[in-house]
Amino acid sequence: MAEREVLDLDVLFVGAGPASLAGAIHLKRLLRESGQEANVAVLEKASEVGAHSLSGAIVDPRALRELFPNYNDADFPFEAEVTEEHLYYLTATKKIPFPFVPPPMSHHNCFVTSLGKLTRWLGGICEEDGVDIFCGFAGTELLYDGDQVIGVRTGDRGIDKNGEKKTQFEPGADIHAKVVILGEGTRGSLTKKLINRHELMQERNPQVWAVGVKELWRMPVGTVPPGCVTHTMGFPLGHDIFGGAFLYGMQNDIWDLGLVVGLDYKNPAVDSHHELQRLKNHPWIRSLLSAGQMIAYGAKSLPEGGWYSIPRLAVDGALLIGDSAGFMNGQRLKGIHLAMKSGMLAAETTAEALSTGNFTATQLADYESRVESSWIRDELWKVRNFHQGFDRGLLGGLANAGMGLLTGGRGWGFKNRLFSEAGHKKMKKIVEKNRYKDLQFDGTYLFDKVTDVYYSATAHEENQVPHLHINDQNVCTTKCAEEYGNPCVKFCPADVYEMVPDGDGQRLQINFSNCVHCKTCDIMDPYQIIDWVPPEGGDGPVWVNL
Amino acid sequence: MNICVLVKQVPGSEAHFSVSADGLWIQETELPFEMNESDNYALEEALQIREQKGTGEVVIVSLGPDRCQKAIREALAKGADRAIHIKEDAPYNTDPYAIASALANTIKDEGFNLVLSGLQSDDLGFGQTGVILGELLGMTTATLVVGTEVLDGKIRVKRELEAGWFQWQTMDLPASLAIQSGLNTPRYPTLKGIMTAKKKEIKELSFADICAVDELQSFNGLSVQHAEKQTEMIAGTVDQIVARLVDILKNEIRIN
Amino acid sequence: MDILVVLEDKSGNIHRMSQEAIAGAQQIGGECGLSIGVLALGENAPALAEQASQYAVEEILSLENKYLFNYTADGFAAAVAQVVSSENPKYVFFGHTYQIRDYVPRVSAKLKRPFLNDIVSYSVQGGKPVFSKQAFNAKLVTALQLIDDSPCIVSFQSAAFSSDTIQSGLASVRSVTVNIDAGSIKTVPEDPFQETAGGVDLSSADLIVSIGRGISKEENISIAQELAKAMGAEIASSRPVVDSGWLPPHHQVGSSGQTVAPKLYLALGISGAIQHVVGMKGSKNIVVINKDPDAPLFEIADYGVVGDLLEIVPKLTEAIQAFKN
Repeated sequence: MAEREVLDLDVLFVGAGPASLAGAIHLKRLLRESGQEANVAVLEKASEVGAHSLSGAIVDPRALRELFPNYNDADFPFEAEVTEEHLYYLTATKKIPFPFVPPPMSHHNCFVTSLGKLTRWLGGICEEDGVDIFCGFAGTELLYDGDQVIGVRTGDRGIDKNGEKKTQFEPGADIHAKVVILGEGTRGSLTKKLINRHELMQERNPQVWAVGVKELWRMPVGTVPPGCVTHTMGFPLGHDIFGGAFLYGMQNDIWDLGLVVGLDYKNPAVDSHHELQRLKNHPWIRSLLSAGQMIAYGAKSLPEGGWYSIPRLAVDGALLIGDSAGFMNGQRLKGIHLAMKSGMLAAETTAEALSTGNFTATQLADYESRVESSWIRDELWKVRNFHQGFDRGLLGGLANAGMGLLTGGRGWGFKNRLFSEAGHKKMKKIVEKNRYKDLQFDGTYLFDKVTDVYYSATAHEENQVPHLHINDQNVCTTKCAEEYGNPCVKFCPADVYEMVPDGDGQRLQINFSNCVHCKTCDIMDPYQIIDWVPPEGGDGPVWVNL
Repeated sequence: MNICVLVKQVPGSEAHFSVSADGLWIQETELPFEMNESDNYALEEALQIREQKGTGEVVIVSLGPDRCQKAIREALAKGADRAIHIKEDAPYNTDPYAIASALANTIKDEGFNLVLSGLQSDDLGFGQTGVILGELLGMTTATLVVGTEVLDGKIRVKRELEAGWFQWQTMDLPASLAIQSGLNTPRYPTLKGIMTAKKKEIKELSFADICAVDELQSFNGLSVQHAEKQTEMIAGTVDQIVARLVDILKNEIRIN
Repeated sequence: MDILVVLEDKSGNIHRMSQEAIAGAQQIGGECGLSIGVLALGENAPALAEQASQYAVEEILSLENKYLFNYTADGFAAAVAQVVSSENPKYVFFGHTYQIRDYVPRVSAKLKRPFLNDIVSYSVQGGKPVFSKQAFNAKLVTALQLIDDSPCIVSFQSAAFSSDTIQSGLASVRSVTVNIDAGSIKTVPEDPFQETAGGVDLSSADLIVSIGRGISKEENISIAQELAKAMGAEIASSRPVVDSGWLPPHHQVGSSGQTVAPKLYLALGISGAIQHVVGMKGSKNIVVINKDPDAPLFEIADYGVVGDLLEIVPKLTEAIQAFKN
């Protein structure tokens, strides 16, 4: 039987996203400059860098320019500089332009980007710098020595659906590192464990998330202006659901259409995938897209809670960066630059820690000070109460945001801090049965979930234990069915959860192979009994330019 | 036992593609790429044979653009010793004879006892390259290989025949074998494998430099298959679909 | 002759796919004004030649040689290459069988002539045939282009032509010889054997319900088996289902399984990769149920449903049980 591999490193980043990759590049540079040697590696559960990266996205080039001061903007793998921007309020049939684009929503001097392309580019530089990126390896457990994090254990590979070892079984590897930096992205699974064990959310607002679902549409040649950026509010979400749509012009005649839906809606019947299809029914969207072909689909959650939802960032032996820590500016719809900057600050702390040989929380808390005195804090402080205003609906949220603009971020113009509760707690016990009865999927323009999942190019080794752990499935067929109408069937954008007939009743069927790793279920389940853990390394979507 | 494994990188099996605007190839920009499925089995077979023999090299040879370095590195991470990358940017110069000639020129002085290739590639599926290569280098050849047994100076292989029949044959070495998927269980790369792969040699050559022959065939663009049949697509609710199917089975196909 | 069709032996009879190649030669030859010769080689060459002499072709070449009694790639490639060199036809046709895959690329290399394999269709341009093959697991198709003139070697996919259309006639048989050096045969074959004992001979089944990867898991197979039982059909499957161990290998339809041509082939969750399609293309009525609207199998379907087989099949079973009672 194969033995468990043990690898000793100095620094391990978990998750090959923009935070970790920027952090690794910056760390290597700092080490070179100070004449230190260190083994730095990045762990990535996808089969290749970028395969699990999904975002809108519009990138503020600030962090990239800091990381690569000798580069010009033309050297970065952007799609296009934002050339025109529009902001609309939509009704079911009309689009009403905002009279002006409020400055914080302006994307002037920013760049339309595919996150997948950006991470692949960063990954290439990382490898040239001598950083090992281990793709196809999922971090499943933190290794401890007492309360000190000393590494990460990766998942076993080659376990069949009954939990038995297959011929090619390989036990997970133990990677020891002096500093483990968790950049797992939204709702990281190791992050969740770290936060729970070390109670890192004390005195903070619970994190609140949204889910973004998107489709890429390939259009006839020459019909898409790269850099054309549009955001909308109103239809189809209305005033009671946080969120809005985005439409970005990419290279290669591609329209990038997406919808962000706050995961703190009250109505359990809401289905973000279906809302995206409803959006496409709008005559303006139809006029833009119907001549094209949908080529890709994906979904990912995003942390919206803001400054007060950011956990304590350092423990003995570990740091939190990027979306795992919640560094996202919900008002500007940008988080990639903050993620990268956080990675770079973590690198600075780590470089110092390596030179002193001290990896305790006290030493690593230097990272928190750096964040406090950086432009991350400057930016996020001004929008620290942004999401919370939307507890009062769209108009309340906009009013709160407006007042925040004038007062440097005060809630309702005067409160330093607005409190909020976790999104899943907002779900009410109502069951709306026919929310989408008028939605007709034709398979060529409006797609049912199963068809869209096919275009997410996601695949999992079928013969493995499902990676979605439900602590008590009885709840699904009894309490949840009655109280909420099994919202998992709706809030999962990938058709993973199904209630299927079973004798006289129903049972929960988990089509884990469809999972796109968005983490919505872990976030939104009203009973919080779904625990998302990484499936076998290498499984999941194989997104190219999402 | 020195073994050469021919590896090709092809579009990902879960991907679906469209023909490029000029009709000459597929639209590659949004596609994921991976090692051809049967090549992965060929690689595993080579690694297992080498492990049994205890000595010898496993060398990867791959022809394709820069992106195929990813498939090469994966093979090195799994245990291959070194690689030769024949760079060829145009994705659709794919005459098997020209390719096999280039490969033959590349490896003719290496003294390989075995050349293993995947049965056919998932893109164009010619399935000829390994056999032509064997012929050009004076090797014995076999295709649809589902089992191997190394003997002294020879190799015994199990070939798949149609309809559940099989046949063993003993062949002189050197031999070129086209490996069928499913004959073994490919291993996972380990962390150490990935780390050491970076230090392994990937020699780069250019196709134009080593291909001494002209193409014998090429192809004239790609198009979506036209349906020759009139397919009746049945749509509607599940109940409506079932009703129509029953009608067809009963009255049109007459299954009785 | 302009076209030389090389026959494969199936226990003393001409292999069905060689018959299809003859039918193809007659069709193409008719359209392009090309004459046809047929080559029989191997242990049963005389018997094959005799059978072929009933076809409307110009002549039959019968090649007997002790080194061709047992098939080896070494021997057959050498022999066919020599015959083609001396007869110099413009085209050499084969049926695309496993045996052809094994040795014809060597003929191509010996003669430095292109081998256009697994051809599915042709068109006539400028009085000459232009051959097309599939690519990307049958999702796309391409017309192959020759760099210069003949001879070229072509193998046809199963059911590209139908043996029903062979025109009969009377052809003369001529003996040919080749020189094969004993030392050039470096392969010693053993006897062929069958691996799976028993199992249904699907090739004689009238109704088949066939299961593909879309069945998702082993537990769901019973849904299809119930349907088959209700219909009185046999169960078949594509390769991945067998590879996963969900069904024993004798259910496999496709190039490495059985070839079937039933009255009804009901395909559940099968995408239609070439390897499978060649085993069932000849089915009289093909009904396809698949979630993926782009599944290539829809191209050859008589009836298609884009839908979830796990929902549809149980209801279909009920409905069939109902009308049978």
